[in-house]
Amino acid sequence: MSTPDLVSVNRQTAFSRLDFRAKLAVFLTATLAAILWNDPWLNLLLAAAVAVGCAGVGIPPAYLRLIAKVMMPFFLILLLTHGFFNVQHVQRLVGGRELTTLFNLPDGWWGVGGSRFSREGGLFGLNAIAKSLTFMLMVPLCVFTTDPNHLVVSLVRLRVPYKLAFVVTSTLRFFPLLFDEIQAVIRAQRLRGFAVEELSVIRRVRVYAKVAVPVILGALHKAQETEVVLQTRGFSGQADRTYLHAHNLTGADWSVIILSLTALTGAVAVTMVGWADFQG
Amino acid sequence: MEPPPAPPLVSFDRVSYAYPQSAAPVLRDLSFSINRGEIVGLLGPSGAGKTTLCLALAGIVPQFYRGRFFGQLQVAGQDTLDEPIHRLARSVGLVLQDPEVQLVTTRVEHEVAFALENAGLPVAEIHQRVASALAAVHLDHLKDKHPHELSGGQQQRLVLAAALAQQPPLVVLDEPTSQLDPASTTEVFGLLREINATHGTTFVVASHASEELAATVSRAIVLDAGRIVADAPAATVFRDVDLFQHLNLRPPEVTRTFALLRSAGLWPEASPLPCTLAAGLAALPRLPPAQAFHPGSPPEENRGSPILEVRKLTHTYPDGTTALRDISLQIPRCEYCLIIGRNGAGKSTLLQHLLNLLPPTSGEVLIDGVPLRDFKVSELAQRIGYVPQNPDRQLFNTTVEAEVGFSLESTSLSAQQRQDRVERALRDMRLAHLREAHPFSLSKGDRARVVVAAVLTMEPEILVFDEPTTGQDAAGASAILDLTRELHAQGHTIVIVTHHLYLMPDYARRVLVMGDGRLLLDAPLREAFHATEILATTSVEPTQAVVLAQAAHPDNRALTPAELAASFSPAPTPP
Repeated sequence: MSTPDLVSVNRQTAFSRLDFRAKLAVFLTATLAAILWNDPWLNLLLAAAVAVGCAGVGIPPAYLRLIAKVMMPFFLILLLTHGFFNVQHVQRLVGGRELTTLFNLPDGWWGVGGSRFSREGGLFGLNAIAKSLTFMLMVPLCVFTTDPNHLVVSLVRLRVPYKLAFVVTSTLRFFPLLFDEIQAVIRAQRLRGFAVEELSVIRRVRVYAKVAVPVILGALHKAQETEVVLQTRGFSGQADRTYLHAHNLTGADWSVIILSLTALTGAVAVTMVGWADFQG
Repeated sequence: MEPPPAPPLVSFDRVSYAYPQSAAPVLRDLSFSINRGEIVGLLGPSGAGKTTLCLALAGIVPQFYRGRFFGQLQVAGQDTLDEPIHRLARSVGLVLQDPEVQLVTTRVEHEVAFALENAGLPVAEIHQRVASALAAVHLDHLKDKHPHELSGGQQQRLVLAAALAQQPPLVVLDEPTSQLDPASTTEVFGLLREINATHGTTFVVASHASEELAATVSRAIVLDAGRIVADAPAATVFRDVDLFQHLNLRPPEVTRTFALLRSAGLWPEASPLPCTLAAGLAALPRLPPAQAFHPGSPPEENRGSPILEVRKLTHTYPDGTTALRDISLQIPRCEYCLIIGRNGAGKSTLLQHLLNLLPPTSGEVLIDGVPLRDFKVSELAQRIGYVPQNPDRQLFNTTVEAEVGFSLESTSLSAQQRQDRVERALRDMRLAHLREAHPFSLSKGDRARVVVAAVLTMEPEILVFDEPTTGQDAAGASAILDLTRELHAQGHTIVIVTHHLYLMPDYARRVLVMGDGRLLLDAPLREAFHATEILATTSVEPTQAVVLAQAAHPDNRALTPAELAASFSPAPTPP
């Protein structure tokens, strides 16, 4: 995956053409709904919808796989923690009734022997996973489909200071560069005959610590060069600048904003009437 | 009454400068001025202070890097010490060596507009300036592209457009073509001449590209150890072959050729040495007739089965770009092979297949008859060593010795065997006395030696060098190429990719010419360098010596100024 691919998705869709402010409305609606709702099935449905959206707008599957790979251990911990140990809280949420045991750990296991994995706890863990997924997928959905220049203009229109808006978008560009740098250094090691896969975990960690040296040096060097370049292009962070494209909100943008606000109202209403409560 | 002369655009008044951590000054007591409309070339060996001088013109030195600055430097009437860099930017455009790091937006059009937006210009004027700057560098048809999708030459032209759009009276370029192929280099220098003629923009260009500088600049300033050792019209400076030799710089091949002819008594002392190809070609009729010179290629030795073989290799990237098309070639043991072709010709993709970093779409690559796909990348390093363009990316350790022995840590060799290999590599690369030094404290040439030593510990038979002379002055480039010759003499097979054709006649034996993903020619070096029609199809420009040789005699196959000068009859004609 090359740097430009990750920073901005090239596929042109109705969603990618929206102004970032309209996307922000969608983002806020989805994340607020995820925060408010505690029903695991509703939240899983929401996360699935966002994932489908990501695929639809052309977020690279490799990126989605990367998120899944990196987050899997944390999700597993969430699931196991809630399933085994979040008993009192989950019992309170289901009105104090006894939790349904799905399986027990063998009694002989040190420290955790005999622990029960409850269906309700597991569902509550799934609920937490779905909430996190929604948030994590909404970021690339809204940010990667937006040209960084449009992002700056939209943020400035939202009264975010220009310097801060520029730093945000520069950071977004910087992460893929750092990722590329790490890949290049690891590849360079392999090309020199260094077989990382032959090493123990501890030695691998020591090697990766060494990789950090050229990566950090390279990143600092690039950051310094970028700062020089920005200054020679007259960048001072002042707000009194002009923009090549004004990016005014279109009818489609306004429609999405109104729809998002309506959906948010609906999400709040669903929460208030209790349809999104955790039922176990 | 005559109007008073216009004040100079740039004025150095006893300027000296030292970086914060350096004891010695990098610029020493510089006093000179530059008038509007000049194109000034900056020459000098590595470390002479060229880059620092360029940064000083933009105010980056000392405003950004701090350090000790003495004297006064004024650009367009502004003191570079007092005027903030972002305001000086309206008077000084800066183009650095690596175009990629200078691209800060995600669309060609925005890249050019960025500085204008920062200056708060009206939107209508920004549109007009963007259009005109892109047209000036011939990129107007690519305005909606992502800058990273452009070729190296196009990226450098884009950076130049971004500088030009600000309409500064002065544009400073620091090694703007060091990463470009010869055609793109010619293109960029041609553009400078064109813009200077049409807009009157003043340029200061630091470069090692002698041939292009000589054809472009009106004045040349030569720096050595921070001092000016020559400041004169370009023709005067480039004719001073002794000065170039003294500073380990490379004069244009045409000048070197005529200097040799003068030494042989074939070019009059009173006649100036030509320093551009056009002047050299025009001067040929004044020389005695050249002889045919065609020594032929050394006889092919029987070196058994090839060590490396590429069979019908095709590679198509996921975006549909076919970078290699049905390439087949064989490299025998102990070959010294050069791969050339313009940026995007497929050289890098071929190298990646030789290193097993890319899987072929079809076809295969074999080493001693075994497909490379059977090796892990790290296993293959024991057969093929790779020295990248930027050795710094391969330096991870705090001492030279640790760096050289780093890869051996993952092998099953005993401690004694590892130490033996490290000692041998340090000795072969003459680094034993530097074993305790930090790799980053060494010169670039020595850092390259450290990487080669590290590669040699795996005892590979084949060594692949990717653009090893980029950014090196003549002395640095020779040092690295001499190293490849040593390794070749020790029995290694050498594969080298470079744009610097003029450096290679003394080293390579065979040339692979690539273009549009195809192998256009596979021939001995002399034959390949003179296959000018084929070279033109992949936008590779022949060296000046080759062009002069062919113009001098249809059967003259000289490769170097020395060969060319020797091929003229020793009977001078009167000037």
